[in-house]
Amino acid sequence: MNTLPHLQEIFDRLRRGSHLSPEDEPAFSAMAANFEAYAEYFEPLGLRLERHPREFFYFAPESAESVPETLPRIAVFSFILVDHADNTGKPIEDFLLNQHFFISRLPHLSLDRYAAMLRQVQVEDSADLRQILKNMERLGWLKFHGEEEFRFLRPFHRVFDKCLELSAAKNNGVNAAQSTQAQP
Amino acid sequence: MKINPQRFFRFCESHAPLLRGLVEIKGELSEADVRRLIRSIGNANGELPETTWRSLRELQILVPAESGSDFYFVAPPVTRLIEYLYDEARATTPQIIAGYIQSLDALGKQLSRAIDGEDLIVVRLALEEMQQTLRRIYADLDETHRSILTEVARYKTERQSFSVRDKFRRIVNWMERYVDPLVEIVSEEGPLRATFDEIERLLHRAREHGLFNDLPALERNTKHLRLVSRHALRVFQQCRRELQPLYETLRRSSFIAEGAALALERLQREGLDGWVETHVIASCSLRLQEVPGDRAIERALRDVIEHPPEPAPTLAMHAEEATPEEYLRHVWLESLPDEVNRNLPVDDLLGWIVSRYPQKDTADTLTGFTRLVFDGNFSARFTTSESRAYETSDGELHANPVELTTV
Repeated sequence: MNTLPHLQEIFDRLRRGSHLSPEDEPAFSAMAANFEAYAEYFEPLGLRLERHPREFFYFAPESAESVPETLPRIAVFSFILVDHADNTGKPIEDFLLNQHFFISRLPHLSLDRYAAMLRQVQVEDSADLRQILKNMERLGWLKFHGEEEFRFLRPFHRVFDKCLELSAAKNNGVNAAQSTQAQP
Repeated sequence: MKINPQRFFRFCESHAPLLRGLVEIKGELSEADVRRLIRSIGNANGELPETTWRSLRELQILVPAESGSDFYFVAPPVTRLIEYLYDEARATTPQIIAGYIQSLDALGKQLSRAIDGEDLIVVRLALEEMQQTLRRIYADLDETHRSILTEVARYKTERQSFSVRDKFRRIVNWMERYVDPLVEIVSEEGPLRATFDEIERLLHRAREHGLFNDLPALERNTKHLRLVSRHALRVFQQCRRELQPLYETLRRSSFIAEGAALALERLQREGLDGWVETHVIASCSLRLQEVPGDRAIERALRDVIEHPPEPAPTLAMHAEEATPEEYLRHVWLESLPDEVNRNLPVDDLLGWIVSRYPQKDTADTLTGFTRLVFDGNFSARFTTSESRAYETSDGELHANPVELTTV
């Protein structure tokens, strides 16, 4: 068990909520090659290692009593970006995962509606946006190329998963309501 | 009214853009709409707009929506011709194909009766009509295929025009309205195949009965039936293959967009309370709390053991010997209302203060004066008497007397 490579580095990253994706070599390849062994190693510690279908790794979050204030900010930021991609008619996953973005060209502060939502999580200006991006970089969701330019990494799929979950919950609710109404 | 074909086509030759513009508008057109279009497109021959407008009606390119109406529509044969010339395909609805199948069913029954009655003319007529119907089915299927290809191409090129969710709704409409029901109709087990099989059986019967001697015609019909059947299935399988990847991509994108929009809408409507629990993407966060090592414990104990004893601090518990100045001043100010109350009315308040408290300095004198003037239990009035001088312990004040009475 103790012979698992890069164990300390992996644990140190994952315990902070970070995700391990192909950008994180050689730790990523080590885990991809021997996922079961790592999962077994962490299990007795109460840590469930997740392998996402899009091939990245992270520790399953526990139901936290208090949510760090960075997470709601990241969520609002990400939902706005998805909404913007939708409004421009671009295929969302392709648009977000396969191109580089510039902080100065983000849509977040250009629309009053978006800016008002960001204010609810105490995000006021581009300096705050930059801080959100830095936090997302720490989670392994994006990578900076210089000070202004960045691109999203595979773990950003967790945002898409959340969106699909919310959409499914709504549609299931609608279907359940319809079947209830249909019953005599 | 008969239309002169030469005149019709000469008009078409010089007004092709106008005709296309009229067909593209779709639906009813007012005279103003048409005249606007005529003016905007113009005419290379220098023809007057009025002449163009008259020709459009005389050649029955535009026909009134109803008798005497001011609204017009492009005559359906002209629409079909223009669409054909510009290769603008229109999808066939399942209802149209179902209509063809019903028509073929009726023709099959007619053919069956004609075979039983050995009525050669009706057999020939039924076969001719079948040929026409089959050609129409073939052409309509082709047109549907082309229109779906055009639609798919439009989605791929017009990315900026619609949101992902709108595009998805349109694709779903295409799938649900055209492709899926038509595949049902033309599939191996569908009604089209059943009708074709029945007609093929009747054609064999006609051939066996020797009723119809034009064997090549019978052969052609049989071949045509099989060809149309195969073609129909292939066309709709192709359509489905064209649409399916787009449908899948847009479906996923649409749901993702819907989820994000829901999250933002709820945040906007309900605020952050309760939103965080269900909308945040949770991540693991472990704080390490390490056990202190032996060296740390040893050092902590040594610090305690080696700490030099110090006498406990003593607190001065006795009262201050001198009464604070500020306190005395406060007590004096608070005693003033009772004091003056016993002497009311006072004609000159400042005079009363300086005579009663001559040891007070100018600042205290004025503070006392203000305290009494603004006291809610007294009424102060500035008199018109002449200004007087009031001496304090450290100076002199000049003022008009102020009278103080009870409220």
